[in-house]
Amino acid sequence: MSHANNISGQAYSLTVLTPILDGDEPELALYLNNLQAGDQSPLAGVPGTHFARWVVMDDVMYEGDDQGEREHLQHARLLFTSNFDGELEPYLDGLRTGLGDSADEIWGHCIGYPGTTEADAFAGYFRHHQIDSSLFFSAYGERTVSDVTRSLALRTRFIDFVLGAQGLPAEELKAAFLQKFGA
Amino acid sequence: MANVEGKATAITVLTPVKREGPLVLWAVFWAGRHIKETLQKLEQLSFIHYARWAVIDRFPDEDGGEKLDHEYLLFESNFNGTWDQYIDAFSEVVPFRMKAIWGTSYGFPGPNPVEPFKDYIRRNEYVANHYWSAYPGFTTTEIISAGHVEAALNEFQRHAPELAPETFKSAYESLLTTIQHDL
Repeated sequence: MSHANNISGQAYSLTVLTPILDGDEPELALYLNNLQAGDQSPLAGVPGTHFARWVVMDDVMYEGDDQGEREHLQHARLLFTSNFDGELEPYLDGLRTGLGDSADEIWGHCIGYPGTTEADAFAGYFRHHQIDSSLFFSAYGERTVSDVTRSLALRTRFIDFVLGAQGLPAEELKAAFLQKFGA
Repeated sequence: MANVEGKATAITVLTPVKREGPLVLWAVFWAGRHIKETLQKLEQLSFIHYARWAVIDRFPDEDGGEKLDHEYLLFESNFNGTWDQYIDAFSEVVPFRMKAIWGTSYGFPGPNPVEPFKDYIRRNEYVANHYWSAYPGFTTTEIISAGHVEAALNEFQRHAPELAPETFKSAYESLLTTIQHDL
C-alpha cells in the first residue's frame, strides 16, 4: 500500500475509520442525521471538499456459511471519507478549523479523539486511523472545487448569452459579447 | 440518513474478502493503476464523479488495529443518476472488472443477471448519515462540459477584440459549432 494510491490528478481520497465509544452509536448517528444539508452543512466550511460523507458502521456484514463463523467488530466504526483538493496535511487543518465545534461533536464520540485544540494531535489522530485507497477514480481530478464552480458558472452565463444574442447583427453581437466576456 | 444530495448519490459498500482474495485484489488494483484502459471505461460511464476501492486488513484503533478473520473491501462512489441505473451500468459496461474485484468477496453472485447483483450490493451497503457535495446541482457530464466551454471561450476571448465584426460573427458561430454538445 502506498499513500500515492490516494491521489488522482490533484485530488486526494481520504478514508478514515475511527472506533466509536461503546454505546455511543445511536447518539452519534442521530447527530449526523440531523445535520443540515447543502450550504448549512458543516462541510461547507471546509475548503476544497468536492464530496464527503460520514457513515456509522455498527458492525461488518456477514455473507453466510461460506465465510465461516460470523465475525463482529469489537467497536462500531465511524467512516469518514472525503474527495478533496491538494495535500493531506493542509486539508486536515482545514477540517479542524473549518468544522470547529462540529468536529468535536462528531469525533468526540470516538475512542482517543484528542479534540481540535492542538493541530498536531488532531492531524495525528486522522493519520493513525487512515486507510489508503487501492484504486481511486476521478472524472476531473485535475480540477479543484473552485475550478469546477467557476467553469459551471461561466457555462451558465454563456448559455444565457447565446440564447439572448440569437439573430443579432455582427456589430451588436461583438459589442454585446465583449461587454459580457471581454478581457 | 442521506445517500442523496441534489443530483449526487453516495454508495458505500463493505464486503468480506475470501482467503485468497487479498492477493488477487493486489494484482487487480495494480493493473487498474497501471493500465490506462481500466479507468478509461469508468470515464466512459460519464456519471461517476469520484470512486474508490480500499482493502481493510485491520480496522484502525488506538493500537495496531483490530484484525478480523477476513479482510474487507470498501467501495465508495459519488455519482449522478439513480442507484439502479448505476448498478445496471456496472453490470452491462464493466462486468469483467466487477467480477475481478467483487469476485474476491464472499457471496458475490456475478455481475449478470443484474438482479442478484443488486441484491448483493443492497445487502452489503451502508447508508450515509450525512453526505456533502460542493456542487449538488450538477452532473459529471455538465462539469466536464463546463471545462470544455471554459477552455474554448478563453481561447476565443484572446482574439475576439481584434476581429472585424463580420469575422467575429463567423468565428463566434464556429465556436458554437465546436462546443454545441457542451452547452
